[in-house]
Amino acid sequence: MTAKISLEHVHQEFSVRPARGARNGPAPSTLVALDNLSLDVAAGEFLTLVGPSGSGKTTLLDLLAGLTRPTSGRVLVDGREVTGPGKDRAVVFQQYALFPWRTASTNVSIGLEGSGLSRRQRAAKAREYLELVGLGGFEDRYPHELSGGMKQRVAIARSLAYEPDILLMDEPFAALDAQTREQLQDELLRIWRATGKTIIFITHGIDEAVYLGQRVAVLSSRPGRLKAIVDVDLGDRSADADVRSSAAFVSHRHQVWSLLHDEVQRAQDAGHRKILPDGTAPDEQPLPERSAA
Amino acid sequence: MSTLATHRPASDAAPAAPVQPGPAPSGPNAGNDSTKTGTTAVGRLRRSASLAGSWVWKSAAVILFLALWEFGPTYLASASTRVFLPPLHEVLAAGAELLRTGQLQNHLLASITRSAAGFGIAVVLGVSLGLVIAWYRPLHSFLNPLLELFRNTAALALLPVFTLLLGIGEESKITIVAYAAFFPVLLNTVAGVRTVDPLLVRAAKSLGLNSFSLFQKVILPSAVPTIFTGIRMGGTASILVLIAAEMVGAKAGLGYLIINAQSSFLIPQMYAGILAVSLLGLAVNTALVAAERHFSRWRVAITA
Repeated sequence: MTAKISLEHVHQEFSVRPARGARNGPAPSTLVALDNLSLDVAAGEFLTLVGPSGSGKTTLLDLLAGLTRPTSGRVLVDGREVTGPGKDRAVVFQQYALFPWRTASTNVSIGLEGSGLSRRQRAAKAREYLELVGLGGFEDRYPHELSGGMKQRVAIARSLAYEPDILLMDEPFAALDAQTREQLQDELLRIWRATGKTIIFITHGIDEAVYLGQRVAVLSSRPGRLKAIVDVDLGDRSADADVRSSAAFVSHRHQVWSLLHDEVQRAQDAGHRKILPDGTAPDEQPLPERSAA
Repeated sequence: MSTLATHRPASDAAPAAPVQPGPAPSGPNAGNDSTKTGTTAVGRLRRSASLAGSWVWKSAAVILFLALWEFGPTYLASASTRVFLPPLHEVLAAGAELLRTGQLQNHLLASITRSAAGFGIAVVLGVSLGLVIAWYRPLHSFLNPLLELFRNTAALALLPVFTLLLGIGEESKITIVAYAAFFPVLLNTVAGVRTVDPLLVRAAKSLGLNSFSLFQKVILPSAVPTIFTGIRMGGTASILVLIAAEMVGAKAGLGYLIINAQSSFLIPQMYAGILAVSLLGLAVNTALVAAERHFSRWRVAITA
């Protein structure tokens, strides 16, 4: 069986400019975000990815989306190297990233524009996918008229609408309240089963990772390496039973927690923070010897 | 609502008394409904009253000012001042006379034609050049210092230059209006394009949009409200500068009307001209605000 997505010895470095106003001059230091990471994801698999802050989760997702290229190593989708964004992959961002001047319907259909479909066909497709995410009847609402959960549903519908094989999700439910989050988790599982997409789902939440993923990939603190992969088997999930309190869930959760715990501690001690898209890491301690190590 | 809420747990807690839950909900419910309709009727009345009140309050200052204008010169000012500050009704009468003879219309038309031409040129040039400058980063850093220099040169300071180069005809006036309106439009266009949310750009790229559709579908629409703010500022500037230019050298236009009336000692006519200028400015601004609102409907604050 060939993997749907495969990462081969992916290595990603950034040259980090110190934050403006930093004392020690403009000398940029290199920072290793991902170090020799290899990972295969099967077609139709739901993989969740956890890791402490600064472990390169978003970097990894950007590589998969084709928004950046790795320093070395290869990212393959269907055996072909990823060289840029493509219609076979869709990204769902944490902050929804809806276009505020477009209605829900035209937000969903933006990926279909220029694909030869007429306006009416696009609207029909948008309605179909909005209904899939439970937002039938909200076609003409603008994003500012929708709640956070509804916005994220629109964003999910938008990424599904042009029918990619792969859904890349970057902490999509992190900004939502607990109740909406659980609801959307179940919706996502339902959509995944109904559509058979391959999903890579980044999260901070161990519960969320174990609840959603068939496998949970745990990344180490910076530089990001693949620390472990935990296979999750929660048994029959079709029943209404509270999966989160089952013994299997609790033991998987503990397993992931233990793997993550040391890494989170290490990341905190090193003061790792997010690298901003423009290449600055405002809170990053300059530790050149660390990245060389 | 509160009676209902306190009543429910009580009936739940006393399942032994089957008589109580029956009439109990209908009792407070009915009472509740009547009070609700009562409060909404009162509320509606109160709301319309407060609406009327706020309308009166908002126009009070203008009415007071007009009243002061009407009665102040007669009762408060000295006789000599009264000559230079005629009461409102004299000004209005002079305005009506100007309207009747068609002079006001002619001057207004001349001013509108000039400012529309200059403003139109400024919008077309400002928006297109702004888009180009914002898109090509090196061009921005190259041109920005020069643009800052020009922007901070008062347009009217250049009026003599335009007059020398283009004569005292329409060209110099249209040019100075275009010049004055150009910079707010240009700078706001640049700012609008450059402050596009990078997340939206990322999302658009991940959706597979190429550079051209990225520009057309994401950057331009997100910049439209800021561009319109610039257009509105340009509209205000164009009228401001035009009146001054017409005062210096023109044979028609509101600025000419005002300055000519002053030198001919037709003081009420002069004030009528000034009044016409403020009304024109108000009308232009209202129209541009409406246009801005129309194109920014998707913004949260503007939709009621």
